[in-house]
Amino acid sequence: MGAKIKKMWADAPLKKSYEAVIIGGGVHGLAAAYFLARDHGLTDVAVIERRYIGFGGSGRNTTIVRANQRSKQNVPLYDEGLKLWPVLIKELDYNLMFFNSGNLNLAHSEGGLNGMRLAVSTAQFMNVGSQLLTPKECKELVPLLDISDRPTWPVQGGMYHPPGGTLRHDAVVWGLAKGAYARGVHIHQGLEAKAIKLEDGKVAGVETDRGFISTPRVLNAAGGYSPQVSAMVGIKLPIHVITLQAMVSEPLKPFLNTLFSSGEYHVYANQSLRGEIVTGAHMDPWPTYTTDSSAYFIKHQAEALVQLMPALKGTKFMRLWAGLTDMTPDMAPILDGNDHVPGYYMDCGWGYFGFKSGPISGRYMAKFMVDGEPPDMLKPFTLRRYENNRFLGEIATPVYYGPWN
Amino acid sequence: MSFTITCPICGKRNIYEFRFGGEDRGPRPFKNEANPEEWYDYIHARSNPAGVQPEMWFHRDGCGVWFAIERDTTTNQEVEKEGGDS
Amino acid sequence: MSRLPASPTQRVDRSKVLSFSYMSEPRQGFEGDTLATALYDQGIRIFSRSFKYHRPRGLYSLDDESSTTMMTVNGIPNVRAESTPLREGMKVMAQNVKGSPEFDLMAVGEKFDGFMPPGFYYKRFHKPYKYWPFFQERLRAAAGLGKILPEFPEDYYENVYFNAEVCVVGGGPAGMAAALAAAESGLRVILLEARPYLGGFYDWRTVKEDGTQPLYERGRELAAQVAKTENIRVFTSTALTGFYANNHLTARQKGLPNDRFVERYMEVRAGSVVVAAGCLERPLIFEHNERPGIMQANTAVRLIRTYGILPGQRAVLAVGHDLGLEAALDLASAGMDVAAVADSRPQGQDESLVAALEKKGITFLPGFTASQANGVKRVSGVALTDLQSGSAKSFNCDILVAMAGLSPNNAPLAMAKAKIVYDPETGYFLAREMPPHVHTAGRIMGLCGGAEIEASGRLAGLRAASESGPDLTVALKEAQEALAGLPGPKGGSTILRSPGPGKKAFVCFDEDVAVKDIGYAAEEGFNTIELSKRYVTAGMGPSQSFLPGVNFPQLLADYLGKEPGSIPATTTRSPFYPTLMATFAGPNHHMSKKTPLDASQKDLGGIFRVVGVWERARYFSPDLDTTEEVKAVRTGVGMIDVSTLGKFRLHGPDSLKALQRMYVSDMSKMVKGKLKYSAMCNEDGCVIDDGVATKIGENDYYFTTATARAGQTVEWFRYHTRHDGWDFNLVNMTDGLGAINVAGPKSREVLAKVTDEDVSNEAVPYMAYREIKLKGGIPARLLRVGFVGEMGFELHVPSSWTQAAWDLLWEAGQEFGVKPFALEAQACLRLDKGHAIIGTDTELRLNLHDLGLSFLLKQDKDIDYTVGVAALNLAEKQEGRLKAVGFKTDVMKALPMDGSIIVNDGEIRGHVTSCRLSYALQRTVGLAFVEDKYSAEGSKLEIWHEGLESKEPLIATVTKPPFYDPKGDRLKM
Repeated sequence: MGAKIKKMWADAPLKKSYEAVIIGGGVHGLAAAYFLARDHGLTDVAVIERRYIGFGGSGRNTTIVRANQRSKQNVPLYDEGLKLWPVLIKELDYNLMFFNSGNLNLAHSEGGLNGMRLAVSTAQFMNVGSQLLTPKECKELVPLLDISDRPTWPVQGGMYHPPGGTLRHDAVVWGLAKGAYARGVHIHQGLEAKAIKLEDGKVAGVETDRGFISTPRVLNAAGGYSPQVSAMVGIKLPIHVITLQAMVSEPLKPFLNTLFSSGEYHVYANQSLRGEIVTGAHMDPWPTYTTDSSAYFIKHQAEALVQLMPALKGTKFMRLWAGLTDMTPDMAPILDGNDHVPGYYMDCGWGYFGFKSGPISGRYMAKFMVDGEPPDMLKPFTLRRYENNRFLGEIATPVYYGPWN
Repeated sequence: MSFTITCPICGKRNIYEFRFGGEDRGPRPFKNEANPEEWYDYIHARSNPAGVQPEMWFHRDGCGVWFAIERDTTTNQEVEKEGGDS
Repeated sequence: MSRLPASPTQRVDRSKVLSFSYMSEPRQGFEGDTLATALYDQGIRIFSRSFKYHRPRGLYSLDDESSTTMMTVNGIPNVRAESTPLREGMKVMAQNVKGSPEFDLMAVGEKFDGFMPPGFYYKRFHKPYKYWPFFQERLRAAAGLGKILPEFPEDYYENVYFNAEVCVVGGGPAGMAAALAAAESGLRVILLEARPYLGGFYDWRTVKEDGTQPLYERGRELAAQVAKTENIRVFTSTALTGFYANNHLTARQKGLPNDRFVERYMEVRAGSVVVAAGCLERPLIFEHNERPGIMQANTAVRLIRTYGILPGQRAVLAVGHDLGLEAALDLASAGMDVAAVADSRPQGQDESLVAALEKKGITFLPGFTASQANGVKRVSGVALTDLQSGSAKSFNCDILVAMAGLSPNNAPLAMAKAKIVYDPETGYFLAREMPPHVHTAGRIMGLCGGAEIEASGRLAGLRAASESGPDLTVALKEAQEALAGLPGPKGGSTILRSPGPGKKAFVCFDEDVAVKDIGYAAEEGFNTIELSKRYVTAGMGPSQSFLPGVNFPQLLADYLGKEPGSIPATTTRSPFYPTLMATFAGPNHHMSKKTPLDASQKDLGGIFRVVGVWERARYFSPDLDTTEEVKAVRTGVGMIDVSTLGKFRLHGPDSLKALQRMYVSDMSKMVKGKLKYSAMCNEDGCVIDDGVATKIGENDYYFTTATARAGQTVEWFRYHTRHDGWDFNLVNMTDGLGAINVAGPKSREVLAKVTDEDVSNEAVPYMAYREIKLKGGIPARLLRVGFVGEMGFELHVPSSWTQAAWDLLWEAGQEFGVKPFALEAQACLRLDKGHAIIGTDTELRLNLHDLGLSFLLKQDKDIDYTVGVAALNLAEKQEGRLKAVGFKTDVMKALPMDGSIIVNDGEIRGHVTSCRLSYALQRTVGLAFVEDKYSAEGSKLEIWHEGLESKEPLIATVTKPPFYDPKGDRLKM
């Protein structure tokens, strides 16, 4: 049957050298490869992936996209990212299944509402759609929401972000792989980077389990494994690798048109186009490279969801999985390079925001890798901000992953 | 992920009784004065080994002791100590 | 209801007729029926329609391996009729059909679009993009099966937690033997069985393997032994849902009519686990292999033997295991006309079974398999093809039993991280390396006959028991020898698929994934099992991986020309059986802490919020207006319950060292009777707590923390002194001491009335600490503090006395018009003084210097390090940081809201953290963060917030707090 079927990608021979090597075949790595080819004509690029494309966080995420972040450094990047999806769908000729459901964050306290006012004000000032809602307005968007006093933390209001929504995460990986492949990028699955070779302190190539590849540029887009790739050039990252779990319910006819989430309850939920309730958020704080799930997590999600939406009691959880997140202390990414080690670039530390930012960050990183200088958009996201004690303001309170906070 | 670890006082317990306390990096190499690099290296940089990591845990829902164990981050299994009751 | 005559294997009670309705029509069944068997008996053959093509689906399995019998029962969607016990009064409706399952208008889709290739929706509907929302809504409407029930009944769902030395998964012969063996040592044994009764595959079999006793009798005999063994706790109707690390198991138990729970969620922590989960039937893949009337062998036999229902009139069997041949004999002896039995194995069958078939005159076709089923709404016939020659024979039938073979039910073992490998001898994937304290028994090991199954169970049970201590050397040796003398694993047919185009030969029924899809996807590039699974979506529907099972990876390996078994199955994910959120959640477990004054604060009209671990009053007016509360404090006297404050005693020889490590100030200067205000930072120099401390004796200190830090302070102190071996003892007294703050110009007069001690300004000046007695001998720690900006006294009183102390003060305060006040009023009052609330007016990015609290920092360089100071020293001279400032709005009573942003020179420069209209000043004051270049006193801040139509900002002027009583005279009166 082979003849009629168009290949989206295929194995390529492993060359001895490339202009750029990208470690990590997820959304970020594939996007960087795609944009190196598309925007800069740099097609002599290899994406090397230890497992299969989309194995890591790209295939195990919330699928949520939004641009209502807290800090002024983040909002423009995510906003541009949000606007890039329709362009990509057209360009890649691949339906990424963008479901513009809008995002509703629930507040359960006066303090929570005040925090939302900051995010909403920031968004509105930057022309990103976002508004504060009363509990009644929240219920209009999510009719089965319980806005009575029954929940432990009753709903006090919400933050609504109409431009947000979800995409089919796997389709994004596949679409970008298709696009990169069509422009000549080599995608090597099942190829593991073992070491990065430096010469005169500069990147000279990558040692893999199938031989050495020489290259002047390496991008670390390895997600949960990025600290280990970074260690290959002797850079220790302020990253904490922990699992984020998610699960889906059995498919039901549409009843939830708007994605909702609650920080207080540590839960988000949306209904996929397949009709499943996709939910998650709780994180076990110890570092791990297993993608094991936990019994505690399912129970926690169920307890939280049935408080916010009692009707969900009658739906069944069907499948639970876990992925790795590369958390930084200020919940903002590290987009840096050509500094500590010339030729070495980093697109990591995205924590659980990696999916929504993938294509846009890949696009800017591609430019960075060609120019050798960071574009203005990426300048706030240096690694040195940590040693200089200048956190970005993505979160107000410390994340409790350990007693150092 | 519902593994157990061994508190030196209370014995083997459910992981959710404990609070994770980070990689055990030993005593601070500096006092109140440090240069940015050494400060970063101790306070924020992480080794993130895929393998055995020495780390601190606090028995929050138990005796309230901080203790160090070695745990394999690729299996979540505690490295059993000789003579321990684990 | 036309059932077969009663027989001893049956489990329906014909004396108990249950009435229910299906598609609004009255129906009847018996107690002991599942909903599906009752419907089958009533002539229902199409139970549902498939998700993608709306193909009719019938009764295929009885243990939730397929989702073909999902229905809406009493409004609850996606209920599996095949495993749901029939109950009186059930209201049952089909779902995801237009019309009925029999006449589904949505089924026309398949006619127009006979082959929707995998991923077709990624390639369509986006050109032009503007039409996508239209298609999106069509797709959404088509997706999903049942409809959510908006008002879920308020039934009781329970959570239970058990510990046991041994937990046995599976109540078949191996599991029962294991449980009995493990129980011999007197250990606690738990036995979990998914079906409502023990017995496993013995339960319906009449074969006499030992020549004397039918297997079902042996099963019931074992079950009776288990029942009378007191240290075995048996849970039937209890399906294992997860197998987590260190033998942590989860299960779902369905309630019986007399149970108080509808369902319950169970966790078991077991020392050792025996997995005796048996085998599943491996589906046979051929064209139209899921037409109604096609069913598993055990389904057909159990309809007869367990439920007394004849599946149909004329059967054909296409099998690959001796159990299939046994099924053919069972069907024939129940009265069915067995037209033919195809066995994909050319030879190797149990000769006695073959002889029995011959004796009954049943056409037996070794080396044949089903290649195509005929009929749409019912199977009407089948083509049986000779796998060697390719020639086919056709047979009419209304029941087609199809089983490729068996497949060990490895899900629990896979999740437990046993190493599972392909065994070419048997064609099974078998667990080889087991995790610690996990054992297998019975058919899951590939065993076939009852003797070896039971012997393996006994051995596993003894092994599991021995891990908990008892010396079972002799018994283990005997059990090992017994098993060694019996036959080992024996497989069945390894056939993957029958010859044919594979277009409608389904690997996954849920998602209508056919054989052809796998090859198509592989050609496109989806040539690993994980990519293929995600793309073709096999195993992603409600029945998960049960049907695709090992067929899917084997088919992919076959397509790619790889060795059988070279591709492992995809990751097993919990819950193995989809489980209601109601069951996982159980009753609401949340418990908030209440202060000792909870009842009186509620009686006084307090409006409460759950704040962290506490329930606390936030307002005292229904309209949430705090004017009266604030007025009382500013002009008379107010009382607030501050019991949630962290309260600690630190004593021991190294206490001072510990204080110096944690607090940024020099704590050595503390003297008895006087309070010291200071702060604690994290390693980044970010302020995480502030409070007062005092010395109460030699090496003995008392201090307070913010409410939010109370729970973490002990671990914080211990963490940061972990390498020092210091000798100190830190006692969290928060819950043992309630606290009341009496504040306002009249507060001293109120206090004086309830104590005989001197509370004059001279005796108890500002920032004094005393230990006093109130009337009636109530002991109280008296802290003269002034957070709200007035003369004030904080009383820390043992919890059991706190209400009495409140009552005394309240009574005494009546003549001064005392009022209660709560959190919001307190927040307004302190803002007059510009006091920051840690966590509200501070954040991660801001350090002690940024908050303007540098004056707290100790200067003595000889003191060993203090947490956060290294970072503070590094950041001290940095420019371009955010700074905390106070401000007044230029318009007297303008009210920017908390969280408003500060936009100067066209960019966001900071934000307002707290802002209130001050009662005392009659103007608006607040706190904000702003970039340092805008932080100088007198700078103008342009405040802007969401919802403003114009971008016209509100102007405020940076003003150094305190705004009210700048010299603090009112605190010191």
